[in-house]
Amino acid sequence: MDDTDAPAVVAENLSKRYGGAVAVEDVSLRVATGDILGVLGVNGAGKTTTVEMIAGLRAPDSGHVRVLGLDPRHDRAKVRQVLGVQLQQAYLHHALTVAELVGLYRGFYPDPRSAEELLDLVGLTDRRTTRFERLSGGQQQRLSIALALAGRPRVVILDELTTGLDPRARRQMWATVEQLRDERVTVLLVTHAMEEVERLCDRVALLDGGRLLALETPAGLVARAGAANLDEAFVTLSGKELS
Amino acid sequence: MSTAIEVRRPGPGSWLTLIRCEAKMVIRDTAGLVIPIGLPMLILVMSASTAGDEVVANGRTVLDVHVLPLVFTVVMATVGIVNMPSFLAYYRRTGILRRLSVTPASPAMVLVAQAVVSVLQAVIGIGAALAVAVLVFDANLPVRPVAALGLVLLAMAALYAVGMVVAAVAPTPNSAVAMGLIVFFAFGALGGLFGGRGGLPDPLARVGELLPFGATVEVLSAAWAGAAIDPVHLMGLTATIVLGGVVSAVFFRWD
Repeated sequence: MDDTDAPAVVAENLSKRYGGAVAVEDVSLRVATGDILGVLGVNGAGKTTTVEMIAGLRAPDSGHVRVLGLDPRHDRAKVRQVLGVQLQQAYLHHALTVAELVGLYRGFYPDPRSAEELLDLVGLTDRRTTRFERLSGGQQQRLSIALALAGRPRVVILDELTTGLDPRARRQMWATVEQLRDERVTVLLVTHAMEEVERLCDRVALLDGGRLLALETPAGLVARAGAANLDEAFVTLSGKELS
Repeated sequence: MSTAIEVRRPGPGSWLTLIRCEAKMVIRDTAGLVIPIGLPMLILVMSASTAGDEVVANGRTVLDVHVLPLVFTVVMATVGIVNMPSFLAYYRRTGILRRLSVTPASPAMVLVAQAVVSVLQAVIGIGAALAVAVLVFDANLPVRPVAALGLVLLAMAALYAVGMVVAAVAPTPNSAVAMGLIVFFAFGALGGLFGGRGGLPDPLARVGELLPFGATVEVLSAAWAGAAIDPVHLMGLTATIVLGGVVSAVFFRWD
């Protein structure tokens, strides 16, 4: 099998319960190398749990995950070299500056992107001496994205890429993801912004109540729902309004 | 297709960077430094003037044999039992450990970096107290300095092990501070923090000298006076390291 034809991410029959509550039920998906997959759904649809299982942060109750052919829990050390993760809720060392945090995270990888490039990617060059705790919420999030890209990952998981960002920062993050696409990086993008899905995603995994409702191209999703646009398709397929 | 991925763990440079970062976190949390440096200094200054210059043994005074060991123990106990667990609990609560767990750095690197920084804090606290004691109050160095140094390291490990248990079981940063302080004062009360253990009922005094606080005071006191070190105290410290290590390893959670 040629390297580029193999799916970068494979999840098969993933299920996860917290106590008795179903978080994810029998979700299977494949992401081709270099593709950008949008993981779409309302709050509580199981988006974060799904990507956290793919990242190896949570063990599935059943099913399995392969990232570049590796089990993210069993082959943890290898997967960490090639997988970049931006977590939805993760703070960084609050008293360290932007430059210090970038230096810290770059140091974990054998061939990191330069600090200048990372700060430039997320527009934080003029904040390098600011402590993390003094950054705005949007700036903290952008820094967290930069750190996810520090090690030149081949697969990136971005959980809530642009939630809470102002329009300018949002466009900047989109440009960053488009640059990743040019570098043939595989991206899993958790989102509930339709505009983001339309602009960036090759395919969409639509989740509802922990189940996968559809795995299609955005256009395919619209066609299948017989809808006029993605918003409408979402409502038709899931019976729910987004946000 | 996965054969191309080579595991390259973070090198020494990365470890140093992390240790530097953890040190900056501690230094910038100025309030956190007041307890391990300020509290022992206060005890020293308050006790030194009343300790008198009565010689206990080998030319070492009450200040040398009784006050200094207590002051140093307070430095190590506040760093190990109160400060370190509150940092780790905060790191866990805010997701810092979780974030690190998706990088090639194992969160265990954070534990080691914290240990190094804790030792540095203890060195600074002890160094400052010793300097004031020697320069202002005419204190003397230990009769057995090498033994004293080795015992400080052993005691630090034991008190750090207690702190690891606190860090492992405390659910929130606030509860880590509360638990740390309770353990500190409980061990301290039984170990001579509020006056010698002589004032305690026999069984309590006996327990207190086996617990890491009391055991540390005893062995440092012996090293200062040039007296024989009671193996029971060494066993108490060693048992604490083993027990604390096992309990914290079993209960520790990264998130």
